[in-house]
Amino acid sequence: MAEISFPLPDLGEGLIEATVLEWLVSPGDQVERNQPLVEVETTKSAVELPSPQAGKVVRIHGGPGDKINVGEPLIVFEVPDNTAGIVGTVPKEEAPKRRVRLSAVLDED
Amino acid sequence: MSNATLESGAAMAEGTARRGVEQLSMQQALNRALDEVLAANPKALVFGEDCGRLGGVFRITDGLQAKHGTGRVFDTPLAESGILGMSVGLAMAGFHPIPEVQFDGFAYPAVNQIVCQIARMNYRSRGTMPMPITLRVPSFGGIRAPEHHGESLEALFAHVPGLKVVSPSNPHEAYHLLKYAATRPDPVIFMEPKSRYWQKGEVDFDSPDPAGSPTGGSPTGAKVMRAGRHLTLVAWGAMVARCLQVAELAAEDGIDIEVLDLRWLKPIDEATLAASVRKTRRAVVVHEAPLTSGLGAEVAQLITQACFDTLKAPVERITGFDVPYPSGDLEDEYIPNIDRILFGIQRVLEYKRG
Repeated sequence: MAEISFPLPDLGEGLIEATVLEWLVSPGDQVERNQPLVEVETTKSAVELPSPQAGKVVRIHGGPGDKINVGEPLIVFEVPDNTAGIVGTVPKEEAPKRRVRLSAVLDED
Repeated sequence: MSNATLESGAAMAEGTARRGVEQLSMQQALNRALDEVLAANPKALVFGEDCGRLGGVFRITDGLQAKHGTGRVFDTPLAESGILGMSVGLAMAGFHPIPEVQFDGFAYPAVNQIVCQIARMNYRSRGTMPMPITLRVPSFGGIRAPEHHGESLEALFAHVPGLKVVSPSNPHEAYHLLKYAATRPDPVIFMEPKSRYWQKGEVDFDSPDPAGSPTGGSPTGAKVMRAGRHLTLVAWGAMVARCLQVAELAAEDGIDIEVLDLRWLKPIDEATLAASVRKTRRAVVVHEAPLTSGLGAEVAQLITQACFDTLKAPVERITGFDVPYPSGDLEDEYIPNIDRILFGIQRVLEYKRG
């Protein structure tokens, strides 16, 4: 297994830090991509941060009321070795589905 | 190798230990091939964006830097023109560079180095400056990635004299084709189907091709992946697996389909292609790249030239569309799916002359 760290992203408009309001996940949780991770407050507004990827939460940084600077670690995920670092999503192997049927009279010449 | 098994018999008599068969993903098979190439050739170098410490965004170079050192497996700046430009110099100095361009769409900034230098340096220098460069390009779509991460550049590179182009369709092909490509004296564009990186398959380390194959055991030319009587599906890369699924479904309808993995897209194995279609008398080419001036046109012409008298229908092409590769949410609509391929087969089956 490999660990991937997700730093606090730039939340826009030149903000350099955010205050953690509430964590919506805990270490040990398996999260999906786009699942809300944490609610943080900036000087502009309170926002929920969606997860950039799927994985198991290993560590979270900062409790409610703590300030985190943009670019500092926010959360660390654990992912299988063979998916660490990839851009995109590992395709699911699905049973082939069809709607089209073939019909032909074949002359076996 | 840890899996090497010392068996008695023919293999030992020839002085080579049989290494047997393993279930590997294409990632692991490619990693194994690079590891062996680095071990066998002290002039081989592996480099690219994130290829060193991280082990590549697809883990293809995982562990290679730790094993072979930072002098032979290393990270480069995010500058594809530099990666390929450096490869030219290294090749001139006697090395065998095996660079990676992290994604298909990132090859565009290096087209000048690839086309104007790498492809023709040997020609320009009257054979005194060969370019033994194996350029690995994670290619094609299917992983819901952003723009420039799902493109199919085979026709672009196949059009350039001096380049060879190859694409493996499964872990076994990946292992053998990469080992072969990385020991050629010529530049080879090695297009890895990134949507197939994770599926496991059997890798027979001892034998690239079945005994008695027309290639004489070396991974050159095209390969029949499934024999059939009624129609030949021609594909490469990730589309081979899809065509094999289609062949299974067609069998339910009583249609017996042959699947030909072209493997080498430049040069194309005309003899194997023609032999297959002379037998089945019908052909459909499938690729992810856009239709117009895609490699399917070249394949269709080669078939027509060789099999015109016996073809029962014009060769069909089932391809991507003439649009920039779409974002991930739309790629299922873009990449040829099972029904589109079946429709193409049906059009060929019901074609009437006159």
